[in-house]
Amino acid sequence: MKKLGKMTFGLAMLALAACGPMNKGGMGEKLAIVASLRGTAPAAPDTNVPAEVLLANPGKYMRVNIRDQGIWTAMVVGGQNNGRVTWVDASNLSVTVSNGLVVATRGLSRDLMGADVAASWFAVQRGGGTAERRHDFLTDQDRISTELLQCSIVLDGTEVVARGDTGIQTRRFNEKCEGENLTFSNVYWVNASGNMVRSLQAVSPSAGYLQIDVF
Amino acid sequence: MLKKALFTTTALTTAIGVPVAAQETPLGYGLNGLPGVIEMPIAQSDSEGALAVTAAMQEGIFRLNFGLQLTDRLSASAGFNIADVYDSTGSSVIAGENARAFSLQYRLTNETEYLPQIAIGMRDILTPGRLQSEYIVATKSIGDSLSVTAGLGWGAMATAGGFDNPIGGRAERPVFDTASADGQLATDQWFAGDAAWFGGASYQINEKWGVAAEYSSIAYTQQPDGLVLETDSPYNFGVTYRPADGVQLSFVSLYGRDVGVSGTFALNAHNRPSMGGAERAPVPVKVRSENARAAREWDRTQVSEPALRTAMATLMESEGLTLTGLEITDTSARVRYINGRYRSQAQAMGRVARFLTQVMPGSVEVFIFEPESRGIPLSATRIARSDVEALETRSGGADAMLQRAVFVDAGSAEGLTPMPSEAAAFTWGLGPYFVINPYGPDGAAQIDAGLKLQARYQITPQIVAAGSVVQSARPADPQDPIIDATPDLQNVRSDGGFYGDDGVPVLQDLTVSYYGRPGPDLFSRISAGYLERMYGGVSSEILWKPVDSNLGLGAELNYVAQRDTDMAFGFSEYDYDVVTGHVSAYYDFGNGYHTQLDVGRYLAGDWGGTVTVAREYDNGVRISAYVAQTEVNYDDYGDGSYNKGVQIAIPQDFLLGNPSRKTYAATIRTRSGDGGAMLNVDGRLYEVVRDAHTNDLSDTWGRFWR
Repeated sequence: MKKLGKMTFGLAMLALAACGPMNKGGMGEKLAIVASLRGTAPAAPDTNVPAEVLLANPGKYMRVNIRDQGIWTAMVVGGQNNGRVTWVDASNLSVTVSNGLVVATRGLSRDLMGADVAASWFAVQRGGGTAERRHDFLTDQDRISTELLQCSIVLDGTEVVARGDTGIQTRRFNEKCEGENLTFSNVYWVNASGNMVRSLQAVSPSAGYLQIDVF
Repeated sequence: MLKKALFTTTALTTAIGVPVAAQETPLGYGLNGLPGVIEMPIAQSDSEGALAVTAAMQEGIFRLNFGLQLTDRLSASAGFNIADVYDSTGSSVIAGENARAFSLQYRLTNETEYLPQIAIGMRDILTPGRLQSEYIVATKSIGDSLSVTAGLGWGAMATAGGFDNPIGGRAERPVFDTASADGQLATDQWFAGDAAWFGGASYQINEKWGVAAEYSSIAYTQQPDGLVLETDSPYNFGVTYRPADGVQLSFVSLYGRDVGVSGTFALNAHNRPSMGGAERAPVPVKVRSENARAAREWDRTQVSEPALRTAMATLMESEGLTLTGLEITDTSARVRYINGRYRSQAQAMGRVARFLTQVMPGSVEVFIFEPESRGIPLSATRIARSDVEALETRSGGADAMLQRAVFVDAGSAEGLTPMPSEAAAFTWGLGPYFVINPYGPDGAAQIDAGLKLQARYQITPQIVAAGSVVQSARPADPQDPIIDATPDLQNVRSDGGFYGDDGVPVLQDLTVSYYGRPGPDLFSRISAGYLERMYGGVSSEILWKPVDSNLGLGAELNYVAQRDTDMAFGFSEYDYDVVTGHVSAYYDFGNGYHTQLDVGRYLAGDWGGTVTVAREYDNGVRISAYVAQTEVNYDDYGDGSYNKGVQIAIPQDFLLGNPSRKTYAATIRTRSGDGGAMLNVDGRLYEVVRDAHTNDLSDTWGRFWR
C-alpha cells in the first residue's frame, strides 16, 4: 500500500506545471511577414467579420461553418495555385477550393490532404452526370491513402439563397459519392453565372461536413 | 439576418458514411495483461498492434502488465508485480517483493462456425517465475455476447485439481533449483508434471456491462518462494464495466475469499487517438509567374540576400524551426535548420518548402534541405520548386514528391551563410520527473518522483555543456552500500539503489559534448564529464551511416569511473574504473523491423553482446526487446542472469495530437545484473542521425503536405 501511495504522489508531481525556456504563431502574422517583403499587405484573417462587411466586400471573404464543431469562421485568400484557392482563417485553419469544390483542408482532425475533383465540376456545369473523384487522406501510420469515389451529380431544383436583404436565385445540385471506405453526399447552390455561392461538402468521417458561403 | 439564413440550410441532415464491420463483443482482459476471463486465459487475441496496460490490485499482490499483440497471432505481455511471498524456507513472509513477468500466447487456429479458436501459451516464462505455467486453451463464441472457454494447464496452472500428465514422458516437473540463475528459460519444465482442466465464460450484457465466471486451476499453495495467496474455492466471478472505448474496469471475487479491482487501458498502434494531428495549417505554396519562372538569375538590388535570410528565419521560427545556415545561388537555395517541433522530419521539410516558395526569387528552382541536430547536418534532400508548385493539394502529391526527391549526404559548410543564433546560448528548465527505478536496494522496485533542474550552455553549435540536478521527494535513506574491495564482479549496477537517496539535491549529469562530421557518411561524438548517475569519464563514438542505407555501423569507446553514491563530484568510494565499449551494427529490415547488435566489453569488464529487436510503427510507436549475454558466469551475474528487457515507447503526438518530438517510454527488464551492463550515455549517434535519413523520412512522408 505504501508503494501505491508513492505512485499517487508521483503522478501529482507530474501535474505540476513545468517552467523555463527548455520546458515551453498565427498565420496572419506569417503572411504579413511575407507581404512586408513584397510591399503588399493581405487582409488579416478575422473570424469575427460582421455580416455587413462580408456582404459589402464581394470576393474577399469565404464563410465556413465546421458543422461538427459548431464553429463559424470567416476566411481570406492565403494563396492561389493553378486555379486552386487556399482560404485561411484567424486560427490557421485552411480550406482549398477549386471552382468552389473543396480539394484540401488543413487543421482538422482528419484533413482532406488533396483531391482531384475536375470531373465533378464538369458534371455540374453540364447540369448533372457522373464523375470519378480521388481523395487523399493521412492514415494513422503517416501514409497517404487514396479513396477512389464514384459520384453522380443531379440537379435538384432551384432555390433562393438569402444574402442580406436580397436573395440569389440558384440551381441546387446533389452529388452522391461512393467509395470502398467512404460515402457522402454534397450539396451545391450555383448561381446564374455558374458560380457556387453556397455548398455543403464532406471532408472526412471524423472532420464532418463544411458549409461554405461565398460572398 | 445572415446567420439566420445560413442556419436554415444547416438543418439538412447529411452524414458521412463509413462501411462498418459487424459490431464485435469487446475483448475482455484478465488480471495478467492479456485477454482472459479473470485469472484464466482465453484463446482470442486482440487485433495486431494492440497495446494494453492492465493494473490489478488485490490483497497480497499488485500487478502492472503491458499486453502487446505483436503479430496477428502472437501476443506477449511484460510487467511486474509487487507481492507478499514466502521466503526460501516457505514459512515466513517477505512483504512487497518485486518480480517481473513475461508471457507469450500464440493463436493456433481461428474460430469457425462449429470449431473454437485454439491457442497455446506460457506464463511467467523466465525462471524462477512464481506463476510459471503453460496451457492450451479453446474459446468458442455463442451468439454475439457469450463466449465459453476451456483449457488444460501445466505448472502453476495445474496446482488445483491436477492429474497425471497426458503427455507421456513428462510426468515429473523438475523443481526449480534456487542455486541456479534467475531469468532462464526452463525448457525442462515446460508442459511437464501434472496437468489440470480450467474453464470459464463471459457474457456481455450491454455495451457497458459484462459478467464473467471461471473455474481456476491455480491453488496458490504455501511453498518456498511462493505467493502469499490463499484459495477457499476454485471459482472466480467478475463484473466488467467499459465507460469508454479502450477502457475496461473489473471488479472480481477471487477464490471465495478475496476481492480485487483491475483497470485496462488499450490502444492500438494502428489507431492513433489524435488521428491526423492537431497542428494548424501551413502557409500555402506561392506559385511563380511565368516570367519569374523563366528568369536565369535574380536581381540582388531589388531584394537583398540578408533580407531573404531574415524573412526565412522569422517564418521558420514561427513553426518551431531554427534556420542555422542558408546558401542562395541564382538557381538554388540550400537551407540548414533544426527541427524542434515535428516528430516527422518530412513534415518539417514540407513546411520549409512552402516558406521557400513564398520568399525565394523566381530563378531559384532547386531546394535543398539539410536538417541539423546537435550542431551537425544529418542529410540533404533535394526537390524541385516546380514540383512543390505542381503537387500541392493534388491527389497522389505526396507519393509523387517522394519519387522525385533525391536524398544524399549533407553538403559542406562551404557556401552556407551561418545565421547568428538568436536563441539564447544558455537555457534552463525546472520541472517534475517521475521514474520507476527497478534497482531498489531492498529488492523492490522504487518509485521515484521529484524535481529536476536542467541547464544547457551552447559554446558553439557543435559543443554543448549540459547538466541536471535532481531533488527526489523520497525520504532520505541513510544506509550506504558495504563495498567489497575485491568482488568477483564489480557492483556496476546492483548498487544503483543507493545512488542519490540521501534526501539532498544530487548531480544527475554534467557533461560537455562535441558532435562532428569527420567524413562523408561519418558522424562522431565525444562526451566528457559526469555522464550518468553512476559513472563519469569520457565517451567517444563514431558512426558510419549512408543516408540511403539500411545498414549503419558504429563503434564506441569509453573510459569511465564509478561515481560516489552521494552523487556529488567524487569517485573515491568505489575506486573502480574501466575501459568499456562496443562495435555496433544497425539494420533496418523494412516493414517496421529494426535490429541492433552490439559486441564488446561491458561495464564490469565482461565481454559479450547485446541483441535488440524492435517493431516500429511509422507513427512512432515502438516496441523493442533486448537481451545481453556475456562471458560472466551466471552465478556472478547479479539477480537477473543476463540482462534483458522490453521497452514500449509512444510519441507524445500519437496521444495528444499537437506536434512534438517528445516520446513517452516504459522499460520493463529483469533486475539488472552486473554482467552485460552498458553505460547510459545521452545522445548516441544512431538515434540522433536516423530520423533524417531516407528510410525514416519515407516512413512519415505522408506528412510532407500536412
